[in-house]
Amino acid sequence: MTNAPTEAINIARRQPYPGAPDNWKRFFTFSTDHKVIGIQYIVTSFIFFLIGGLLSMIMRGELVTPEANLVDRTIYNALFTMHGSIMLFLWTFPVLVGLGNYLVPLMIGARDMAFPRLNAVSFWMIPIVGILMLASFLVPGGPSQSGWWAYPPVSLQNPTGNLINGQVLWILAVAISGVSSIMGGVNFVTTIFKMRAPGMTWFRTPAFVWSVLAAQLIQLYGLPALTAGAVMLLLDLTVGTSFFAPERGGNPILYQHFFWFYSHPAVYVMVLPVFGIFSEVFPVYARKPLFGYRVVAVSSVMITGISALVWVHHMYASGTPGWMRILFMFTTLLVAVPTGVKVFAWVATVWGGKLRLNTAMLFALGGLVNFVFSGITGVMLGSVPIDIHVNNTYFVVGHFHYVIYGAIVFGIYAGLYHWFPKMTGRMYYEGLGKVHFALTLAGTWLCFLPMHFSGLMGMPRRVSSYDPEFALWNVLASLGGFLLGMSTLPFILNMVSSWIQGEKAPNNPWKAIGLEWLTTSPPPVENFEEIPTVISPPYGYGKDEPLIANQAEVVPADGVTT
Amino acid sequence: MNIRAILTISIFVAFLTIASFWVAGQAPSWFPPQASAESKLYDELFSILSGIGTFIFLGIALVLLYAVLFQRAAKYDDGDGPSIEGNTAIEVIWTIIPLGLVLWIATYSYQIYDTMAVRGPMELVHLHNPMEMKTALAVPLDEVKPQLPTEEIDVTAKQWAWVFRYPNNVTSTELHLPVDHRIRLALHSDDVLHGFYVPAFRLKQDVIPNKTIDFEFTPIRVGKYRLRDSLYSGTYFAANQADVVVESAEDYDRWLAMAANQTPTPAYNPASAEYNRASEKTLVRGWESVPPAPPPVVNFAPKQEPTSPPA
Amino acid sequence: MTTESSIAQSTEAQIREEQAHEAAENSKFGFIVFLLSETVIFLSFFAGYIIYKTTLPDWYPPGVTGLDTKDPQFNTIILVSSSFVIYVAERYLHDKKLWGFRFFLLATMAMGGYFLYGQAVEWSNLSFGFTSGIFGGLFYLLTGFHGLHVFTGILLQTIMLGRSFIPSNYDSGYFGVEATSLFWHFVDVIWIILYVLIYVWQ
Repeated sequence: MTNAPTEAINIARRQPYPGAPDNWKRFFTFSTDHKVIGIQYIVTSFIFFLIGGLLSMIMRGELVTPEANLVDRTIYNALFTMHGSIMLFLWTFPVLVGLGNYLVPLMIGARDMAFPRLNAVSFWMIPIVGILMLASFLVPGGPSQSGWWAYPPVSLQNPTGNLINGQVLWILAVAISGVSSIMGGVNFVTTIFKMRAPGMTWFRTPAFVWSVLAAQLIQLYGLPALTAGAVMLLLDLTVGTSFFAPERGGNPILYQHFFWFYSHPAVYVMVLPVFGIFSEVFPVYARKPLFGYRVVAVSSVMITGISALVWVHHMYASGTPGWMRILFMFTTLLVAVPTGVKVFAWVATVWGGKLRLNTAMLFALGGLVNFVFSGITGVMLGSVPIDIHVNNTYFVVGHFHYVIYGAIVFGIYAGLYHWFPKMTGRMYYEGLGKVHFALTLAGTWLCFLPMHFSGLMGMPRRVSSYDPEFALWNVLASLGGFLLGMSTLPFILNMVSSWIQGEKAPNNPWKAIGLEWLTTSPPPVENFEEIPTVISPPYGYGKDEPLIANQAEVVPADGVTT
Repeated sequence: MNIRAILTISIFVAFLTIASFWVAGQAPSWFPPQASAESKLYDELFSILSGIGTFIFLGIALVLLYAVLFQRAAKYDDGDGPSIEGNTAIEVIWTIIPLGLVLWIATYSYQIYDTMAVRGPMELVHLHNPMEMKTALAVPLDEVKPQLPTEEIDVTAKQWAWVFRYPNNVTSTELHLPVDHRIRLALHSDDVLHGFYVPAFRLKQDVIPNKTIDFEFTPIRVGKYRLRDSLYSGTYFAANQADVVVESAEDYDRWLAMAANQTPTPAYNPASAEYNRASEKTLVRGWESVPPAPPPVVNFAPKQEPTSPPA
Repeated sequence: MTTESSIAQSTEAQIREEQAHEAAENSKFGFIVFLLSETVIFLSFFAGYIIYKTTLPDWYPPGVTGLDTKDPQFNTIILVSSSFVIYVAERYLHDKKLWGFRFFLLATMAMGGYFLYGQAVEWSNLSFGFTSGIFGGLFYLLTGFHGLHVFTGILLQTIMLGRSFIPSNYDSGYFGVEATSLFWHFVDVIWIILYVLIYVWQ
C-alpha cells in the first residue's frame, strides 16, 4: 500500500475492523494488515514458547538427579534438540518479526509494509514449520536427536534407516523457516528504505527501525549460507552424497562453517531488535532523549557487518587451524565495542532522568543488567585459551541463556508491555506486571547463574546424566527453571484479562514521542488518517518541539475510533 | 566537576576495584584442581578476566541501581527530564577505552595460548602452500622438565567408549599418565565427532573421524581425574567418560608392566550395559538408537564402574 | 460532469498512477534485494567447491581425469548471448513494440531451453553420478541448482509472454518483465562463475 491520503483509498467496511465486536475474527484470517500479522506472529510464537518451555521443564526434571532416571536417553536428546529448535525458530525469531511487523510501518508513518501479501505468506509458513517440528515426535525413530546444530556425522546416522525420519523433517522445517525469514527480510528492508514518511531522513528514524533493518540485513546475507549447508546435509542423509560424511570422504567441519556462518549472526538478528526496544523504552520512562542516538543507530549496522566475521569462535576446539582461531578471536572481541557503546548510551539515557518504574521499564532495566553480565561471559568465551576449557560445557549454556532469556526475552516482555495499550486499546494491570517481573528476574538468576559454576567445574552440555559433584548446581538450576515456568502465568493472565476487560487506553498513555503514538489505540486499518510529515529528530524529550507538521490538528483526540 | 563529585567517583571506583580483586581471588576456587601445567596459566587468565568483568558489571549495575533508587520522577511530576542528547567527549572515551581493552584482552589471550602450547590439530586444511603452525614450545614452563622424554599415547574415541593404547601396545579404558612428563596424544575417532575433555587439565580437543589429531600437554599433579566426551556424540554420550590417573613415573611403569601381563578382556562399558537393559524394558521405551560399539577388549579396565574423583 | 468532479477524477487517476509507480519501484527494489540474497546461496556452494578442490589431492571419481569442455563452451556462449537477446526484447517493450518484444523473448526462451537440453545431454554422457564422491556431489549440485534457476527463468519468461497477449497489460509499466530480465542476467552471471570454477579451473 502506498502513502496516499485516505480519500483516495476505498476501504471495504464489510469485513471486521478494529473497534468492531467481531474484530477478533481478523486474527484467524489470511489478513494482509501488518498489525494483524504482527499480532498473529506474537501470539503464535508465544504458544511455541510455552511448548519449548515445557520441554525444558522435563529436561530440568531429569537433571535434578545425577543419574538418567526420568526419561530414556533418546528422549532427553530429543528434548534438548527440540527445545533449542522450537525456542529459536518458532519463538524468538517470529516474535521479534511480529513486533517489527506491527511497529515499523507505524513508526515510519506508512500505511503498511511494502509487500502485504508476501507478509501474510511469511506468517502462515510459521504454523507449517511448527507442525513439521511437532509431527517429528510421531514418526518412527522420533524427532531429531542431534541437537539444534545437527552436526554430522551424528545427524546422518539415522538408526531406523527410514527415508522420512525426524532429522529430515527437522531439516525441511528449518528450510521453510528460512524461506519465510528471507521473504520477511526483503519486505522489511524495502519498507524501511522506501516507505518512510516525508521528512523522515535516516537520522530522524527511530532506533528500533534501524535495529530491525540491521537484523533483517543479516537474515538476507546469512540464511542462504545455512540453506546451502542444510541442502547438502539433507542430500547426504537421503540420497547418500558425500559432502559431510567422513566415511565417504566428506568433511564434517565444513558443515560447521556453513552452519555457524549463519547461526552466529543469527544471534544478532535476535538481539538487535531487543536493543531497539531498549532504545525506545528508556527515553520514555526516563523522560530523556536517547543519549548519542546517531551513534546508537549506526552501531546497529556496524554490528551487522562485524558479526559476519566472527563465526569460527564456535569452532575453537573443532580442529580449526591456529591462525584462524586467533583471527576470529580478534574479530569476536571487536564486536563488543559497538555493543558496549550502546550499553553506555542506555545508562547515560537513564542517568539523571525522571524515572518511572513501569513494568516495561523494569524489564528493560533488568534486561540491560543481564545483558551486561552475559556480555562479560561472552568476551571470556571469545578468548581462545579460555574457550578451550569451557567450550561445550554448561558455562556456555549459562552464557547464552543469560543473553536469550535474560536480555532478549526480558526485552520482548518490555516491548509487549510498552506497546500493549497501542496494540489492543487497553491498559494492562500494572501490579500483575510487576509480579511477573519479580518472578522472572528471580527465576532467571536462580536457573542460569549456577550453570556457569557447573560449567567451570567441567560439566559438559547436553548430558542426560552427570557426575555427582555437579548435583548442587543442577538442583538450584532446576528450581530456577520451575520458577521461570511459573512466572509465565501472571503474564498470560495479565494479557488475556487486560485485552478482554482492561481499562480503555488513550492514544498515548506514556506521553511518548513517536509516530505510533500520534494515532489511535489501536490504530485504524490505514494507520493514519493523513500521512504525517516529520519535522524533528526522535526522542525530543525536554524540548517543546512538535514531531510532525501541524501536529495539533492532525492527531486524533482520545476515544475516537474510525 | 566539583570536589564532591570527584570524591564520590573516587570512592566508587575504589569500591569497584576492591570488589574486582576479591572476585578475581575467588576465581580459582571455581575450578577443578590444577592438574596440568597449562591449567595454571588458564586460571590466571580467567582470574584477570573475572576481575575486569566484575568491575564493569558492578560499575554499570550500581549506577543503574542508584538511578532507580534516587532519580525517580516525583509522584505528580509529568514533565520531561533534561534534554541531554549526547556528549562527544564522553562518547569518544567510551569507544576508545573498550576498544583498547578488547584489543589488550585479545593480545594477552594470544600470548597465553601460545605459551600454553595448546597445540591445535595437525592442519586439516592442506592448502597448496600450507602455513606452518608455530610449534608453540617457545616459552618453556617451570613445570616442564625438558630432559624427560615425551610420552606418546594413542587415544580412540567411539560410540561410546575411550580406548587408550600405550607405547608397549598395552590397551586400557583408563588413561594413565606419568607426572611431569610432556604427553602427546594421538586422537582418533572410529565413528562420529567426539570431544576429548579433561576439566582438571583445562584442555579440550574435538576428535574427528578419518583424521589423527596430535594434542600435547604436561600433567603436574598426581591424582585421579575425569575425562569426559564434550562433543555430543549420540544417545549415550553422557556416559562416555573415563578416569585419568596421573602417577609417578615408577608407578606408571609398574602399571604398564602389570597390564601387559593381563590377557585382554571386555571392559565394563556403561553405554552397552544401559543399551542392553533398555532393550529388556517394555514399559516406557525411547526411540531407536544407534547400537553402541561392543565393549572394548583391553588389557586393563578399572575393576568397578568409574566413579567421580574427589573434589 | 461538473468541473469539481472532473478535477477530482483526474486527481484520483494521478494518485493511482503515482501509487502504481511507487509500488513498482518498491517491487523492483525488493526483487534486487532478493536476488542479492539468492547470490549468497550460490556463493556458499562455490566456497564449498573451492575448499574441497584445494584440500583434496585426488577428488575425481575413479576413471575420471577431467571434464570435457567443448559442448559446455558452446552452451555457455548460447546462454550468455541470451542475456543480450532478452535485453533487446526489453528495449522493444520499452518502445511499446509488442511483436518485437515477443519475438526476442521467445528467442531467449529457445536459447535457455537449448542450454538446459545441452546440460541434460552432458549429464547423460558422464561416467559418474551424484553419489560418486565429493566431486560428483558438488558437480551435480552446482549444475543442477543452476539448471533449476534456468528452468525458473524460462518459466517466468513464458508467463511474461503470455501476459503480453492481454490487451494494455504493459501500458502502465512492466515491472514483471524487468524482474524476469534481471533474474535472467543473474542466472547468467552465476553460470559464468560456475563455468570458470568447474570447467576452466581444472
